[in-house]
Order: sequence, then C-alpha cells, then structure tokens
Amino acid sequence: MLQGISRIGPYEWEVPIGFVPGMRVPGRFFLSDALAEDLEAGAVQQLAHVATMPGIVGRSLAMPDIHWGYGFPIGGVAAFSLDEGVISPGGVGFDINCGVRLLSTPLKEDELVKKRELIEHLFKAVPTGVGGKSTLRLSGRSLEGMLLEGSSWAVHQGYGVDEDIIMCEQAGCMKEADPAAVSQKARQRGMPQSGTLGSGNHFLEIQAVREIYDTEAARAFGVFPGQICIMIHCGSRGLGHQVCTDHLSILEAATRKYHISLPDRQLACAPLDSPEGKAYFGAMAASANYAWANRQVIMHYTRKAMEEMYGIPYKEMHLVYDVAHNVAKFEEHVVGSSRMRVCVHRKGATRAYGPGAPDLPSEYASTGQPVIIPGSMGSPSFLLRGTSAAMDTTFGSTCHGAGRIMSRTQAKKRVSGKEVRESLAQRGIIVRAPSDMAIADEAPGVYKSSAEVVRVVHEVGLSRMVARLEPLAVIKG
Amino acid sequence: MSIEELEHTADVRMRVRAPTLEELFSEAGRALMMVMYGSPGEGKRTMNVSVSGHDLESLMHAFLSELLFLSEVEGMVFSDAEVILRNYTIEGTVKGESFNPDVHSAGQGVKGISFSGLSIVHEQGSYILDVIFDV
Repeated sequence: MLQGISRIGPYEWEVPIGFVPGMRVPGRFFLSDALAEDLEAGAVQQLAHVATMPGIVGRSLAMPDIHWGYGFPIGGVAAFSLDEGVISPGGVGFDINCGVRLLSTPLKEDELVKKRELIEHLFKAVPTGVGGKSTLRLSGRSLEGMLLEGSSWAVHQGYGVDEDIIMCEQAGCMKEADPAAVSQKARQRGMPQSGTLGSGNHFLEIQAVREIYDTEAARAFGVFPGQICIMIHCGSRGLGHQVCTDHLSILEAATRKYHISLPDRQLACAPLDSPEGKAYFGAMAASANYAWANRQVIMHYTRKAMEEMYGIPYKEMHLVYDVAHNVAKFEEHVVGSSRMRVCVHRKGATRAYGPGAPDLPSEYASTGQPVIIPGSMGSPSFLLRGTSAAMDTTFGSTCHGAGRIMSRTQAKKRVSGKEVRESLAQRGIIVRAPSDMAIADEAPGVYKSSAEVVRVVHEVGLSRMVARLEPLAVIKG
Repeated sequence: MSIEELEHTADVRMRVRAPTLEELFSEAGRALMMVMYGSPGEGKRTMNVSVSGHDLESLMHAFLSELLFLSEVEGMVFSDAEVILRNYTIEGTVKGESFNPDVHSAGQGVKGISFSGLSIVHEQGSYILDVIFDV
C-alpha cells in the first residue's frame, strides 16, 4: 500500500489530513487485499484533492471500484455543507446521471428461444454507437418536458406505465432542474439522441437470475431463480456532456472569482449559493432528468420487443429500480452528531438507501432500495439492497461497477474484438455491437472483478447481496 | 508533427507534437477524430470556427470541445484546421467530410475534454500537448 495511508479495518483504509497539502477532512476508501493490488496512486491523490475543497464535511470517500478519473476519482463520494460548500462538475462527470435500470420479465431462461432474433430486433429498435440517431422526433417543447419532468414525461408520452415512475431513484426527476441553464448547444446535441444507447461502456443486456442470496429481498424486488431480466446502462448522452463542458468553463472562471484554491483544474467549482453554482446545479438536474427519460424510452422499446416476440403483456414486465451513478443531490445525513442537509456528489457511486429511508417506494421500505451493479461484458451483474450502515458511513452510497484495470491501448494489443466475440459465443453469450472495435475495448479482463467489488461492499455492509445475474446476450454501444 | 496514445486506465490520453501553436491545434483536432472515428476525415467540407480562452490550456479545451460539438451536431469528421491564434482567441476554418457509418465506425464516443492532465509545453523547438479524452 502507498506510503502515508493506514489500514483501519479488514477492508478500510484511511488517508490522513496532510497526505496532500490543504486537506480539510481525512479520506477513507474500501478495498480488499486483492483489489488493493491494482490501486493507482493517482486515484488516491484525487481522493485527497477532493478533501481540500471548501465546505466538505465528514470524509472524502471512495468505493471499492475506485480508479483514476479526472477531478474526483471514479468511485468518489463527497458531501458539502449548504452554507460553506461548493458544487463541482468534476464530482459528477461528463455523463450526468449515467445509470442503470433493471427490468424483470415473467419469462424463464428455458423459455428464451430465438435469442439471436431477439438481440437483432433490439439492436434495430434501440439506436446504438457513435453517430446513432434517435427515431424519436422531438420538438423543442418535448425536450423542455424531458428536462423538467424526467421519467414522468416519458411515461405520460406513452413510453411506460405509472408504476415505473416511483421505481426510479428520486422518482426519476430532480425538481431543481432549470432548463434555462441548458445551452442551445446542449439542446442541439440532445434533440437527436433521446432514446439512444450511446457508446463506450453503455449496454443493454439480456440476463438470467442465477443465484439468490437474500430470499426476502428478492421476493420484494420481484426476482426469482432462472428469471429473464433486462439491464439498461446509459446516461444523458451529448446533452449532459455539453452541459458539463459549458459549465466547466464557467466554473473555472468562478473558481478564480471566489478565490478558491484547487490542486486540479478539473475540480473547478463554485459556492452552492452563488449564481454560477446554482446555474450548474439547475443544468445538471435537467440533464439528470433527460437521462431518466432516455432510459425510460429505451425500456419501452425493450418491452415492445419482448411483447412482440414472446407475447408477454407489457404490464407484466416490471421496472425493479433505476439508479443514478453520476450525480450531485441535496440530501439529509447525519454528520458528526447532527443531522444536516448536504450536497452529496457521487461520481461512479450508487445511492444505497437503507430500510426506512426517505424516497423509497413502500414495496422497498423494509428491505432498503435495490442497488444495481452492472458487470462488464461477459461478467455477472448484481442486485443488492441498501443498508443503514451505508447511511452511517458513506452518505448512503455504495459502488457502481467493476472499475477498469487495463487501459484501452493494452486491451486492443492483447485481444481483438472478433476474438472476444467468438470466445463469448462459446460460453453462449451473444454480443451485438456496431463494430468489433467497441467490443475489444470493453472485453472481459480489462475490468476488476465485479464479484470482488460487490463482495467488499457486502462484507463492509455498505449494501447486501440479493441476486446474481449472468449475461445471455448483450448490445454494446 | 506526431500523435501518440499514452497509457491511461479509464480514458484516452494523447500526446501531440507540432512546430507551431497553430499546427498544434490542428493536430489536436486530428487526434480527437482518430479517437472518435478511427481516423481523421478528408478535407472536402469547410466550416468556420472561433473560440476564446484565458490561457493556452483553456483555449485548447474550448477548441477541442467546439470540434466535438460540431462533429456531433453537423455530422462532420475533421481533417485539419487553418487557424490564427491571437490573444488567446482562435479563428479560422476547419476542413473535413460528412460522417459515413461505413467508414467512420472504428472509433468510440468522446464525452468530453478533461482539464485534468491537460498541458501544453514548448520544448526543443516543438510544442507538446498532453490531453485526456473522457470516453
């Protein structure tokens, strides 16, 4: 382990004040010995840099999928007080409200015939990859609706059923959304991309529930062994990326205006109550709503495909839950001995509210919220539940995925997309992508083991394992 | 002039070298296109570009962000740029061709240009840019 960091538990590590100059609070991260072997010094430095930001409370945190990002580390969580704290696009990322949703079906694994046809059908229905254009023809007013209302806009346009809305974190809508803070450029990018999957690590995957670890929670979540589920992973597309870019420049200037001293320009930030800070928050919230509407539309296409191919009634396919893993939100948490309202930044981290927490649908009040952890291509995904331990230690947060360990350059040198596709086919997993290049980039082995990351959050108690889902067929963006 | 990809775990990190600053901006645009589409385009279409910053790094950030925006919205794959740099403002034309999924699908979407790890230095008669693209 790096010099200056101390181990304080089997899976907990402390980065003391003074690790880098100017730290206001200590840092804390969670890793097993196996995961610690791949820890990058740059990621720990970024965690420490976050601890220097004005108004940070508690600790600068990172989940077991910590890795080297820009601004905050990926896997980073930090909360800021409302009176002295700041908001930073570097604590959210370019892909605002990148997130995951899980759709359950009544179909069992042995009933999933015509898997190849299904994936081709979905590949046609959901525009994918670089330059993939939406089949929706949005008007300016519709875009405004997406930005203001998120999931419920999509449902009211016919892309879902009412029960979908409460099955999203924050009911799929941040009410602080301010479309006026979303630039024309962002709108131009957002208009043709609504209802598209995008590229990179985004995917739509047909999965089978292979193992249940928590029968009671699984029953509440509506999942059972052998069940076919569909996972959708994507975000706010070019609209969110442009909002981040636009406001990064504004906040870079604001950082100087408010005399905030930062060790990294990507941490550009402004006080939460400043005009610049409020504008970014409003634009970010609008982008988050766009992303929820986007995933809702993609889920609608998926349900239609399942209805057409297998005759499953639309309403018998339920949204288990939808989680955001790149977002900043106002939430109430206990800091020290007092309960206070804070702005929680989660960058590559998932909210994991425990039993009895606010904002949970009544079905999940006693289990805690469903937490969905997507696996990388070819590896399992996990369904977990939030815990009160997470409320006490990580502002109600847990991991978001596996975290890369191999660079894209190394991945491409090691194995071609075609080879990856063929080896997955031997395991019975179909991969459909616009190009083989996209497949090589995200091949199994370039990520940490999602199972190990999930094991650590389970052992630490930041969330508890409910079910494991194995991939059967995947569309890669 | 040269473009090389450096190691980076999560994103794409590029090093670009050019003898003049104007050429550095043009080469940086080509580097972005290589990531997004597998290779830069050919110079059949032209477009005007004008962006400002308050230092070289912020100007580069603004220029590459503008190319990313134009590329996505106008469906343009850029080949090179002829620009004039004055008082941290870039003005000029960029050349390229229209996006064609049959030839431009060997890349990956770029979400944004990171300020982290963005540096421009002048060394032995050559300008060197390091930049991280979030993919």
